Amino acid sequence: MRSVRNLYMIVIAVVAISLLAGGLAQWLDSGTEEGTRFAAYMQRVHVASACCIVGAVGVIWLGWYWLKLAGAITSIAKRLKADNIMVPRLRANDKPKASGNALIDELSEAVSGRLDGYSKLIGRLEEQINDLQIQIQLTQHQKGHIEAIIYSIHDAVIVIDEFDRLLMANEAAGRLFNFNSGDSQHKRISELIDEGKSEFTDFLRHSRQNKAQPTRKEIEFSKDEELKTYDCIVSCIYDEDRQVCGVVAVLHDITREKQIQQTKNDFVNHVCHELKTPLASISAYSEMLIDGEADDEQTQKEFYAVIQSQAQRLNRLIEDSLNISRIESGLIKVNKEPVSLTMMLEEQLHMIKSYAEEKNICLKDIGQCRIVFDQVYADKDMISQVIVNLLSNAVKYTPSGGSVKIEIEVDETVNIARLSVIDTGVGIPESEIDHVFDKFYRVSTNNRQAKGTGLGLTLVKQIIEKVHDGRVFVSSSQGVGSTFGFELPLATQRYRGTEVQRYREKQIINYQ
Amino acid sequence: MSRKKVLIVDDEIHIVHVVAIKLRNNDYDVISAENGAEAFKLACSEKPDIIVTDFQMPVMTGLELVEKIRQCDQIKDIPVIMLTARNFAIEDQQKEDLQISQCLSKPFSPKELLENIEDILYHKAVIDSRQ
Repeated sequence: MRSVRNLYMIVIAVVAISLLAGGLAQWLDSGTEEGTRFAAYMQRVHVASACCIVGAVGVIWLGWYWLKLAGAITSIAKRLKADNIMVPRLRANDKPKASGNALIDELSEAVSGRLDGYSKLIGRLEEQINDLQIQIQLTQHQKGHIEAIIYSIHDAVIVIDEFDRLLMANEAAGRLFNFNSGDSQHKRISELIDEGKSEFTDFLRHSRQNKAQPTRKEIEFSKDEELKTYDCIVSCIYDEDRQVCGVVAVLHDITREKQIQQTKNDFVNHVCHELKTPLASISAYSEMLIDGEADDEQTQKEFYAVIQSQAQRLNRLIEDSLNISRIESGLIKVNKEPVSLTMMLEEQLHMIKSYAEEKNICLKDIGQCRIVFDQVYADKDMISQVIVNLLSNAVKYTPSGGSVKIEIEVDETVNIARLSVIDTGVGIPESEIDHVFDKFYRVSTNNRQAKGTGLGLTLVKQIIEKVHDGRVFVSSSQGVGSTFGFELPLATQRYRGTEVQRYREKQIINYQ
Repeated sequence: MSRKKVLIVDDEIHIVHVVAIKLRNNDYDVISAENGAEAFKLACSEKPDIIVTDFQMPVMTGLELVEKIRQCDQIKDIPVIMLTARNFAIEDQQKEDLQISQCLSKPFSPKELLENIEDILYHKAVIDSRQ
């Protein structure tokens, strides 16, 4: 490389000196005064030596420049080769080549390797970018999906950050706390929730500050002018460093559950009270008998009679409670069949007749009631119990000399059969009439009139409305009398005829 | 010594009947009422030595009756025994405030009731004699 460089420089110098000498000779031969004077001057100078010195300086300068350039190229090549990330390393047995072409080749190879490396890197980066874009789309889709789930949850969901600012709230939360869940992000929760509901914000803050495990609390809020109870569950959100970076709260409306629980508690309390009352009599009279407090036979009989009647009362109470419970839970066995309401009424009237006569109460004849077979599709035993309850109540609360009238009407325009029991009894105060079908409810003013469990009319309502899709009704005027009754849907055409067939078969069997 | 008069208040006629027999057999005079309102009138007119009342009654409950009695100067010192089918119906504070001498849970023993009546009347007699 160096010899080529030197040769090149010598050639250049020789050419330059030849040109210079040629030019000078021509100028001297031209005969001009300046040329003559210059020639004389030049005769005193060693032209050849001067040219050699100039040429040598030029050669040295070019050589130095060439060397510098070659060093720079070598350095770049070495640096490219030394880069173990992008360029493949030279093999161990590769020897650096001394020639200029080899160096250029080496540089070219290194640059080419680097370009290949960059090309591969760009390819990989593009793949990664594509992957990331897919992941972003997937994440956005999942985020949208999760948000859709959270927004569609019936429970109120609120998420706040570590500075008590709202991150997310679904529509239920917006409705509960009266703010627009869409444009309330990053607002302070205390600004969004009014002071009347500060118990909730305090609970959130407390949970966040104490880094508490998921905690729950029952909080009462006034919503739509109604006091509602919410089961509030609060969980802290932790970042990678296990620091609390937010809180998520879920508020579930448990008002209905609380009401049911309260109703159950009331029911149990009531049942206990009602069971204890006859039990108290049984216990007290038994003790009196054991202690010999009833000394004569008449008193003893009286005590036994009380014990017996109270035991029966206890049994009725238990039976009625169980029946109501079975109907409410849907566990009661129902045997519906096409039956005649009129025939069932006749059967039950026959049973209640002696009780009415005992009380001197006139049961109005229902002879005008036309017997219609397959009138209603119902459970015969249950409807019979309903009729007995209504009839016995009417007789029970009607003073001696009064009357009880029974009517059956069929309204084919709306497909119903209606049975009404109309008495001339003590009646029910207007303020209490809405409660007569409630469990254990007994009209206070009539309480002394007759004994009862307070479950008879509840059972009537349950049987008619829950089991038979019918309707019960009551109207009353205190001191004048009451009308209790029910409506049942008429049996559909497909059931007509089956009861007649059964009735005929029964007649034939009786005849035989 | 004059016979002590007991007012029994209960809407359950059998309970009134059995308690009345027990007390009469043990030399007590017995008067009875079916509810609180009727009992208050009777208490004012008859001034019984002790009142045995049911807790839950129509028209006026046992608690309302006691509240009314404690507000009436003539009869405010009459001791009261409360019969209740609900064990937790009366809180201790309420019992103290209304000076209810004893609460007996149904079903109760007529013998136990008699013993309670005797104890309460004895203590009242001792206190009265000291005054």
